Amino acid sequence: MKKIINRPEDFVNEMLEGIYAAHPGSVKQVGEDPRCLVSAHKQEGKVGIATGGGSGHLPLFLGYVGKGMLDGCSIGDVFQSPSAEQMLAVTREINSGAGVLYIYGNYNGDIFNFDMAAEMADFEEGIRVESVVVGEDVASGAPVKAGEKNTRRGVAGIFFVYKCAGAAAAAGLSLDEVKRVALKACDNVRTMGVALTPCIVPRVGRPGFEIGEDEMEIGMGIHGETGIRRGKLLPADKIVDEMLSPILADLPFVAGDQVAVLINGLGATPLEEQYVIYRRVAQVLKQKGIEVYHTYVGEYATSMEMAGASISLLRLDEELKQYISAPADTPFFKQFAL
Amino acid sequence: MNSANDFKLLMSHWADIMEANRNYLIQLDSVVGDGDLGLTMSDGFRAASDAIARQDQEDIGKLAYLAGKAMSTAVPSTMGTLMASGLMAAGKAVVGHKALDLEGVTAFFQGFCQGVMERGKAQPGEKTFLDGMAPAVESLRKDCKTGASLKNAALGAARCAHEGFLATRGMPAKHGRAAGRGEGSRDTLDPGAAVADFLMKGYAEFMMESGANEI
Repeated sequence: MKKIINRPEDFVNEMLEGIYAAHPGSVKQVGEDPRCLVSAHKQEGKVGIATGGGSGHLPLFLGYVGKGMLDGCSIGDVFQSPSAEQMLAVTREINSGAGVLYIYGNYNGDIFNFDMAAEMADFEEGIRVESVVVGEDVASGAPVKAGEKNTRRGVAGIFFVYKCAGAAAAAGLSLDEVKRVALKACDNVRTMGVALTPCIVPRVGRPGFEIGEDEMEIGMGIHGETGIRRGKLLPADKIVDEMLSPILADLPFVAGDQVAVLINGLGATPLEEQYVIYRRVAQVLKQKGIEVYHTYVGEYATSMEMAGASISLLRLDEELKQYISAPADTPFFKQFAL
Repeated sequence: MNSANDFKLLMSHWADIMEANRNYLIQLDSVVGDGDLGLTMSDGFRAASDAIARQDQEDIGKLAYLAGKAMSTAVPSTMGTLMASGLMAAGKAVVGHKALDLEGVTAFFQGFCQGVMERGKAQPGEKTFLDGMAPAVESLRKDCKTGASLKNAALGAARCAHEGFLATRGMPAKHGRAAGRGEGSRDTLDPGAAVADFLMKGYAEFMMESGANEI
């Protein structure tokens, strides 16, 4: 293991100390617990949006707490859910009477704890909480059928859900309306990833799995979950084609659609390579007659030192376009009005 | 179970069992999950036991609820939260009781099982904790009707939990990482059901020792 850390067991809290020290005007901790983070700008009467999840994915999850996006985040150990008590502490802090919306990824540990927190918020505090669980990784399960459990994992596409719901809440919409917007974003976003190397959880000290020097895994999850296919590393264009076609077929995205694109680096893939990826994505979308409204390239949801990338597409209508275009100001994401 | 103190002893015994079987659970979980189950269970039950050890509380239901809350804070992993939900639901099921007869014990474990089922949105037969716990609860329910002794009921429940655990070999997994292995998941034993097996075995051992004065 080669990492710039102190003691592995201090990794998460020291990372958080750094976050609070670097962004004192943006975020603050709740009470004594650094793992409960809220925006420094509480807006009365606004629907509060909370997220949460394990560490090891910056900018996810806490990086999107700020103006125009989220109001609070609870932070777990690396790849571990925070506790329901921590989620409750954040909920209490960000509630300003209009209720709270939880938006988080489709992982059992997170679901169980957020459900428990929502019950406690209702039972112990009388705060109304609604939840939206994001699962948009097309590699990780069949398309969701109405009334059935979504088995897909939540990955980088959650950024689009944060962006749309955050802008809707900032515009003063009610809890039900913000939830509707979040669900609409979920319905229209699809992601697929590729991994080239594994990552190392500091307290474990060695990779949780291996990928051969000349290999890649299409569809691998951000904790190393099994993907669709492992094989020889291919040229960028071929990799993109293999990732993009299941994304396009899934919704499906068709000629005439307008989309926002997110090219996301998993941690150890340089921006140059991410732009090589986007080059091919833009070519294919143009061929298909799909118009790109806006493109984001960079690290939005990582897996520590994992090499690889993901592609997310969000299909836009006028409403989602308006929320994607709205300004935002968080420690890890800043945007002027488009 | 004659008093809140008995319940504290049971929690402490459960913590001991999870600690003693930590490596076994890690080994089972490494095959199908991420291998941390042994740590979660041993840390979680210890935290739950410690949290109530010095509580001046006679209500067994409230103690179990507190133990569950402590566990959920200490080990918010999937299985930690499920066991915390089980304890909290078990507590709600027997709230107000300062002692548990067979009916109370049955309500306790039935509540535990129900709490886990609702949190995890799983059913028996899907290769989970429930496949150890549900048969044990069923056994307690039957013994309740026939008026069996607390001790015999505990032994019967432990036997059923163990058989239920062994029967998870052969079931395809529907939840968690194991489900990703599809049909390949049939060959493995479920680590969650092993936890149910240990809980019921621990309860039976507790009844044989601490519960010696009960009929």
